[in-house]
Amino acid sequence: MADDQRDKSKQSVSRRAFLKGGALATGALSSTLIPDTAETQLPEAVEADTRRTLVEMKVNGTPYRKQVPNRTTLLQFLREDLKLTGAKMGCDRGQCGACTVIVNGRNVYSCTTLAVEATGAEVLTIEGLVTDDTLHPIQQAFIQHTGFQCGFCTPGQIMTTKAFLDRVPRPTQDQARRALSGNLCRCAAYKRILESVMTASRLMQA
Amino acid sequence: MQQQNTARSLKVVGTAGPPIDAIERVTGQAKYVGDLELPGMLVARVLRTRHAHARIVSIDTSRAEALPGVKAVITHKDAPKVPIWGNRTFVLNEQVRFAGEAVAAVAAVDQETAEKALRLIDVKYEVLKFVLDPEAALQPGAPQLFTDGNLEGEPRTLTRGDVERGLAESDRVIERVYHCPTMWSGGMEPRVAIAQWEGNRLTVWASTQAPCRVQTNLTAQFNLPDSQVRVIASYVGGGFGTKSAAHVDETITGLLARKARRPVKLQYSREEEILDSNTRFETRVYVRVGVKRDMTLHALDVKAYINQGAYHVRLGGLGNQATHIYNIPHVRTVQYRVHTNVPNTGPTRGVGDPQETFAIDSAMDEIANEMGWDPVAFRLKNVKRNGDPIARGGTGTEDGRLVTQVTDRCIEEGAARIGWARRNAAPGKVETGPIARGIGVGVTERGNGGGLAGSSVTVNLDGSVVVFYASADIGTHSRTTLSMIAAETIGVPLANVRAVAGDTEMAPYDGGSYGNRVLYSTGRAVDEAARDCLRQILATAAPMLKAAPGDLELTDGVVRVKSDASRALSLKEVMQRRGRSVVGSGAVTQSQAETNVERAAGAHFVEVEVDRETGKIRILRYISAHDVGQPINITVVENQIEGGTIQGLALTQAEEMRFDPRDGRCLNANFLDLKPPTMLDFDPRVIESIVVSNVGEQGPYGAKGLGENPCHPGMAAVANAVFNAVGIRLRRVPFTRADVLRALAEQRQVPSRTA
Repeated sequence: MADDQRDKSKQSVSRRAFLKGGALATGALSSTLIPDTAETQLPEAVEADTRRTLVEMKVNGTPYRKQVPNRTTLLQFLREDLKLTGAKMGCDRGQCGACTVIVNGRNVYSCTTLAVEATGAEVLTIEGLVTDDTLHPIQQAFIQHTGFQCGFCTPGQIMTTKAFLDRVPRPTQDQARRALSGNLCRCAAYKRILESVMTASRLMQA
Repeated sequence: MQQQNTARSLKVVGTAGPPIDAIERVTGQAKYVGDLELPGMLVARVLRTRHAHARIVSIDTSRAEALPGVKAVITHKDAPKVPIWGNRTFVLNEQVRFAGEAVAAVAAVDQETAEKALRLIDVKYEVLKFVLDPEAALQPGAPQLFTDGNLEGEPRTLTRGDVERGLAESDRVIERVYHCPTMWSGGMEPRVAIAQWEGNRLTVWASTQAPCRVQTNLTAQFNLPDSQVRVIASYVGGGFGTKSAAHVDETITGLLARKARRPVKLQYSREEEILDSNTRFETRVYVRVGVKRDMTLHALDVKAYINQGAYHVRLGGLGNQATHIYNIPHVRTVQYRVHTNVPNTGPTRGVGDPQETFAIDSAMDEIANEMGWDPVAFRLKNVKRNGDPIARGGTGTEDGRLVTQVTDRCIEEGAARIGWARRNAAPGKVETGPIARGIGVGVTERGNGGGLAGSSVTVNLDGSVVVFYASADIGTHSRTTLSMIAAETIGVPLANVRAVAGDTEMAPYDGGSYGNRVLYSTGRAVDEAARDCLRQILATAAPMLKAAPGDLELTDGVVRVKSDASRALSLKEVMQRRGRSVVGSGAVTQSQAETNVERAAGAHFVEVEVDRETGKIRILRYISAHDVGQPINITVVENQIEGGTIQGLALTQAEEMRFDPRDGRCLNANFLDLKPPTMLDFDPRVIESIVVSNVGEQGPYGAKGLGENPCHPGMAAVANAVFNAVGIRLRRVPFTRADVLRALAEQRQVPSRTA
């Protein structure tokens, strides 16, 4: 594994550079375990790619224009540049769903979407769901059923629900389970999340 | 035992409803530590070793320090020689003992620079032999993690009666071994900390369950008084025990911030979280259990190997739960707590209770089936009932009596709900078709809370109330339940109360959010503080209403003369005329002897479907019956039961951390290969909770703790149900399809086997 990784990591195992470098083998993903002995020492990182691109997108209805490094993920752009911290970093690998936002009507993992990919897009985050000081029916339903415990995954659960119900307004419970299965809830408030989704569907019809 | 405001019926306690901070949690407004940013804040990254066991010969950080944008680099040379866990482990160590252990940390202007700097640190190691298995680690010649050996302390031993005699007297004895590997049990939010120094004063925002424990460690590491260290954990993205003690990240962040003279944030990646948090410890439990022909348990002999990993964040082990659940005249348990080169372990939901329940309640089921007894009847025959003797200390001596114990009722109500009589009378009997159904039971219990608890409650000039407590609300909704207690005790609507959680500077010392303790123990402190407020309010109002304080009552935010309701003042009016806030304080110390006699029981029943062709185990129905004492908020109770039940089921499925035997590295430190259950893995609709009606004696309003218990019985209940379905015994978790198929194949080779 070490040799294999050494070659691949010449492009730098830094995660941002990794995204720039395209899909590598899983070995390079364990960038937190940077080799640290003489025999396994990785070559030093190549200079980070400093190329920047102008990103233009509407987030929650507000237009933004900003030059960002190409490697910037949508999650980083939202959290660090726009200070919209509702979307959370749970794994940074597209494996948990805490970072889910809606891009042009589709729920996406913003941690595995580059900001440049969202250029020209309409992005909706949890912060954009409240209109005129009124909670969205999905938020009301999540409160009604307490569809959460710690709340860390909740923005992602709600955004997935939004994209799903916009697409499938009257789902069956099994359709809802499938739609939400890309969003982990470690507290496992799943029974209540499912109830919240079904109630939200009814509230949105009303 | 406790004097409650019994003059009126409960108005707030016992109701259902969403938590008081629900809006923050569904709008993204709740700020977790990772969401916070301070002016001038630096980003930290940690260099981690790939070696399972090595000694650092040299670390050269000069090239990293020279990199523009790097503001501080630390190694073990910078770490205080103050133990963080146990008495021989530092925050950064010269000898590294698991693959993933921190060896250096960098603070830089951005993540890119920090990660680049890590790669410029040259570490030379003397690589040492490693050991991963706790039994192997005790063999002569095994690699030694510590100079005084791999065994942590003396084996933890409990004896009652004479176990060898008891086994000899038994009519039937079985001997089995049950194995739970190292399992990851963390939350959705990876560890994160921010440290800021102002002069000689340190503030740390941490993702922790126990701000006061973090504070205690930081004061030791930095040699500061409590007053100079503030720890804040406002919103925490789940803990499950993995954040129940001080960890290295808070100190590392503090060291970097001090060196860089700027605030520093250290955010773990998911991989780091899995490797360097604390995991559920591996247990290998050897059980001998003996019964008499009259269905009584006669002897239990337990020998357990607890794999503490490289470091014990807190010392773990089995809670000798079996001796609290069942009456057994002859008992011996011996626990070897062993250090190996797997990552840190520590308490995770239930500490050792899920592992112990798996072993004990599987063994109970095995012997009942061998004897041809109904497993529920066998348990009811032997289970401890209210008033039965119980050990108040950690020894085998039963010097106390159980109060408010309802294990029997949990079993009876659960059995009735699932239809226990429907179970297979002859487990494993070949049926038509590949699908077989079975029903299983698992019984558990745990003590409640204890230790030091504190709270202060303020009544503002407008009559609104704020509850301050230093433990974190990690998703157990303690902000809500503690506010409900204050609202009930003072006599105001819940809408007038809010709670400030997890700030060591705002509230007195409070142990933390772990061990079924916040509601039970902190809740008592809140109740005491609220009663202190009520006393002051009534004393203030008495001259205003020309009555004695004892003739007044405060209900729904109005102070009234009990005998003449027309003489009344709103709390707001009383407070405004008083002209100064009311501050009440509460502090409670509960000894183990006190809390050990009042315990919270639970019984789980599960109906499964086993596919003999694919090995798939499907949960058809799951009943979780729990004693919670007086429920404070029924919604919170059910949410805890449902979530905890799925976490217990998760242990049957997929939470094993796997290690490469060649290099000791974890093979699955990510959410693809170590996948917590999704909504599809277990159908959440099949989980039904039963809140067994009961009122405790010591908790506020008779409440009992609940957080841990629902996670305990899943492994045993499923294993017992699988046996009832197809007659195979699964004695190691997780229960993979391959395990099921293998056991079925073995069963076919031994057709006469009945158990």
